[in-house]
Amino acid sequence: MSLPGDQTTYSGPPPPVRRIVVSEEPTIVEPPRLDPSAPAAAVTGAPLTRRSDSLPASAIVERMRTENLRLYYGDNEAVKGVSLPVCRGEVLALIGPSGCGKTTLLRSLNRLTELTATARREGQIFLDNEDVDRIEVTQLRRRVSMVFQQPNPFPMSIFDNVAYALREGANRKPRKSALMEPVRQALDRAGLLAEVESNLDHPALRLSGGQQQRLCIARSLAAQPEVLLLDEPCSALDPKSTETIEQLIVKLRSEVAVVIVTHNLQQARRIADKVGFMYLGDLVEFGDGEQLFSNPREARTADYVAGSFG
Amino acid sequence: MVLALCAGMVIFVLAKAWPSFASNGIGWFGAGEPDTQLGDIFKSPSAPSEYVYEIGVWPLLWGTILTTGVAVFLGLFFSLFTAIFIVEFAPPRLERLLEPVVRLLAAVPSVVYGLIGILVLVPFVANNLISDERKESVGYVTQLTGASWSVAALVLTVMIVPIMITIIVDALRSVPKGWIEGAAALGVNRWRIMWTISVRTVRPAIIAAVILAAARALGEAIMISMISGSLSFVPQPVDGLTFFFEPVRTLASSIVDNAEGLSVIPFGQTIYAFAFLLLVSSAVLSWAGWAAKIPMRKYGIRP
Repeated sequence: MSLPGDQTTYSGPPPPVRRIVVSEEPTIVEPPRLDPSAPAAAVTGAPLTRRSDSLPASAIVERMRTENLRLYYGDNEAVKGVSLPVCRGEVLALIGPSGCGKTTLLRSLNRLTELTATARREGQIFLDNEDVDRIEVTQLRRRVSMVFQQPNPFPMSIFDNVAYALREGANRKPRKSALMEPVRQALDRAGLLAEVESNLDHPALRLSGGQQQRLCIARSLAAQPEVLLLDEPCSALDPKSTETIEQLIVKLRSEVAVVIVTHNLQQARRIADKVGFMYLGDLVEFGDGEQLFSNPREARTADYVAGSFG
Repeated sequence: MVLALCAGMVIFVLAKAWPSFASNGIGWFGAGEPDTQLGDIFKSPSAPSEYVYEIGVWPLLWGTILTTGVAVFLGLFFSLFTAIFIVEFAPPRLERLLEPVVRLLAAVPSVVYGLIGILVLVPFVANNLISDERKESVGYVTQLTGASWSVAALVLTVMIVPIMITIIVDALRSVPKGWIEGAAALGVNRWRIMWTISVRTVRPAIIAAVILAAARALGEAIMISMISGSLSFVPQPVDGLTFFFEPVRTLASSIVDNAEGLSVIPFGQTIYAFAFLLLVSSAVLSWAGWAAKIPMRKYGIRP
């Protein structure tokens, strides 16, 4: 009878379980050789720099404004008297810990909070100096569009997704050929056209997460909104898709006023021109992105930005 | 096990029904006078070689198609809008009241509907909607007693609507909230969101509801036997308004109506043939439902 461990009779490859002999020389496994030409960023993460400089002051136009905005869920006050300008030409980032009213504030800007039965609003919101309560709600949402945290493409083809708002906005049903140009344009602005050009009739739900989110942005852009609200658009995405979307946001700010809610401080630092820090429903600090991160006025902001709590 | 049972049942029924199909050929489905022909079959001589099988069931088929089709069509229309109302537009209190009521309605036995139909609806139709002139005008063909296919179809609609509403409401509730919010954020109003997103998404459930309702309507015997007049008459749409008051008899109700004659062998075999046709049509229905859902899977709508 021969056992696998019996060296005299076993001549095949070593068995999977080996005895460790303390007195023997240990076998040292060579570490994998790193390619010296590979970029260092792949290991250490991209450096924290702005994606683009601020636009000149002449390009900045105030589009929306909230005045002493208060939002309640039942008796719970989620947003406590926030006054904030939203400008075209600037990316406004709202940062702060979870549950501090950032998303609620964002959703109130196009009156999406009204879909929640218990939500109540006080204070005023203006779009081009017109009270949003005086604007017909569908009209308002066409001008102030929103992209959500979870990509939510409709269960239709890519083309139909982007054309959805156009079809619904038109008085008479437009032909597919007439929609092709605006749809391609919107996909192009969202940086998705090259990837989906040849299969516009494929189901949107088969796209990857990052592509789905860019499709949702394209869907919003197709209706030519004046303000774009982004609710943590990158939280479910990989770094590559995140980068694409960040570049897209910076590019968009000259045409559309962009408000983005983000939990990612580095992201806010990379893309935001103006940053608002919200804590427990209060707008603690609002100012230029660089200043708020490097030289915050408030102690709470400094603590949050430094990562003391979050 | 279940499959074997199904197959066994189909084969058994087909074997029993075969003489009726074989001796009539394609004429089995053709025009005829099922009421008198069934009488002849019942009275056929007792020697197996002299059995009478002649029958043309088109009047029964037409009655079945007419009542089922109209009931399902009306029911689909009605249940879809009721379901949309319950899910999207009804205030929460009304919603809480409506749902148990709908579920209760789904459980009412069909005999009860039949009883209400024959005691309330049929006399109402006879006394108020059909004029004496109209009755006389067709007196030499058939009698207009109020018991008619349209009353049967209406009661059938009431019977199948609760199931359809329940299925469609459950499906509408399960539409992802993200899609609805996403559409709302694009400036689309509630009604259009319901129509273009929710209803689109629940099409498989709507098909399932239609199939289930059609299957129930197809097999409904007692209620229809009570209020459709139970005469193998072929209502002609060209008759104008009178068309709606003409009696019919359906396949299922003929089985119930003729149950006492089953001991006569050729008669029993003919009735088995009716049953086989019902079996096959429900199989075709469920296959059609499956086939109709295929194109929807592509875009990620899961049945």
